[in-house]
Amino acid sequence: MNKDLDIYVLIKQVPDTRSKAGVNPDGTIDRAKAGKMLNPFDAFALQAGLNAKKMGGPNSRLFAVTMGPPPAIDILYQALEHGADATCILSDRRLAASDTLATAYALCRTLEYLFKKNGKKADLIFCGLQTTDGDTAQVGPEISERLDFTQVTYCEDFSISDNLLHAKKIIEGGTQLVSAELPALVTIANSYTKLKFKSLRGAQFVQDVKRASKEEQAKYVEIIDLDKCEADEMRCGLNGSPTIVSKTWKIGVVGGNCKMHQGKAASELVSEVFKDAIMLKEFVKI
Amino acid sequence: MAGEVLVVAEQVNSQVANVTLELLGEGKKLARKLGSPLSCFVIGHNMEAAVDAVIKAGAEKVYLADHAELAEYKTLHYRRVILDELSSWATPPHTLLMGSTTTGRDLAPRIAAFFETGLTADTIELDIGPYEHTSGIDQTKIGYFPECLYASRPSFGESLKARILGPWKDPQMATIRPGVFAKPEMLTEKPEGVEIKKVAINFQPSDYRITIKETLREIEGKIDITAADVIVAGGYGLGSADGVNLLKDLAACFENSVVGASRKIVDLGWMTYPYQVGQTGKTVRPKIYIACGISGALQHRVGMQKSELIIAINRDPDAPIFSFADQGIVGDVYHVIPEMIKQLQEKNTSKLAELKVK
Repeated sequence: MNKDLDIYVLIKQVPDTRSKAGVNPDGTIDRAKAGKMLNPFDAFALQAGLNAKKMGGPNSRLFAVTMGPPPAIDILYQALEHGADATCILSDRRLAASDTLATAYALCRTLEYLFKKNGKKADLIFCGLQTTDGDTAQVGPEISERLDFTQVTYCEDFSISDNLLHAKKIIEGGTQLVSAELPALVTIANSYTKLKFKSLRGAQFVQDVKRASKEEQAKYVEIIDLDKCEADEMRCGLNGSPTIVSKTWKIGVVGGNCKMHQGKAASELVSEVFKDAIMLKEFVKI
Repeated sequence: MAGEVLVVAEQVNSQVANVTLELLGEGKKLARKLGSPLSCFVIGHNMEAAVDAVIKAGAEKVYLADHAELAEYKTLHYRRVILDELSSWATPPHTLLMGSTTTGRDLAPRIAAFFETGLTADTIELDIGPYEHTSGIDQTKIGYFPECLYASRPSFGESLKARILGPWKDPQMATIRPGVFAKPEMLTEKPEGVEIKKVAINFQPSDYRITIKETLREIEGKIDITAADVIVAGGYGLGSADGVNLLKDLAACFENSVVGASRKIVDLGWMTYPYQVGQTGKTVRPKIYIACGISGALQHRVGMQKSELIIAINRDPDAPIFSFADQGIVGDVYHVIPEMIKQLQEKNTSKLAELKVK
């Protein structure tokens, strides 16, 4: 039997680009109008957290943590529906324009606040491999460095025994089996098990929480700001970010010389293309 | 004077990764603009040939950490040798570049967090240029910076490219996808006088918290989509995972061919990550790229737009892919691909006939 584990999953709300809402005709995104969703990569991390909880002792706990504007509470409720025990959001205007380093700092402060409150440091922290809106994959390892945790990125599968995480991870050109001492930070690849459907009990529980008093709600969805987690505001947001976006520009249409073939039978379209694309011939297998 | 331009080399089985050579080629341009040396940090075991290779690719100074414990990449061990060495420098590197590989993405953020410095991920363009910071709450940031690292990357879901910079703290860091830059021409002779500094290696007990049990690379080669001449890639327009078989059938008609995937279908689990083309997947430049049911979002485009010939099949005549493909077919992939296969097999027969005549 493994010891009781305190497990944290870091999740983020991102613009929902699957829908057309909030997508301007020129392809830019109106973030205010766009729908929101749980970062798809974080769904795998949440499932990893749920699985890890089962591997731990009977008093293992799963916490979901996010940072963002108040509407991001939605994804915390989602985590509760799936089986998280409690959640926390760091929400503060001073966090605006945080780059990855500033984000990692703020999340570290949040985690350390929670470790103190929960009476114990994390045994495991799970993150999605990356977000779909930032795409950097940097925040996880930056947190791991600050907390001096071991780290497994691109994790595809894992088990836990004693004080060790045994993981299968993607490396260049293959896979690797590694063992990492706890506490560990793990980023979960999207080849991991998909997030299972929420349980009826979970959904019912969230309905109850939403109807409960503010005090009762705060037990499950705690909202904190920079002061509460004792974060230095000069290290957060734009102030704490060592990088800025100095300029953006539209990427023009490249080429624009596409020869279009349409409005005919597939056989004709294909033979037209093959006639134009002479170099294809060189690569046809004999 | 600005600090060095430092490329942290990546290796597998003591061989330097292509991305390292590509970064040395691009790093040289940055170093010349800064008037700084181009240096390379080589970490591994039995690295003599690797050191030769990075020097022939343009490195003017080499930092070498050669130790049996470093034969395979390990987060904490590699972190240790880099941090120990860089912490001892009076002037940090001006620029620090790493590949945006599974290794670089594991290591670079730890280095950046340790030095509390900026790191731009998945960069597609690098340059050195000026920047003036005129306002902000933090007065200490205001000033004119003549030599910043410009790292540009696409901004997600938006047809925008963003230039990211952070001149306030060195090293200014960036990771770059393999294949984004061309490999430099390799010198035939090793130039004289390149300093090779053996760095001190002092592992701490805490570095041994992660151990490698087994490394499996037998699939290497088979799924290196960057080496293929022909890539048949599929997107969400395939409609279901079954469509992947159609891609495979078409790819099988070509020599040195492979299938590729858009991010969306990798996220959906129709294909796996090693096949993914684009900003967060591989950057490819094959001779022929056949995009089947791929809309051509910027994220995908940056990973394949350098292909010599791009043929796109899409039902939507307004799909962005048609703005940069060479040949576009407006139609259903389930009609067009089988027709392609049929006609290629006919070509094949005629090619055979040609050979027989000869």
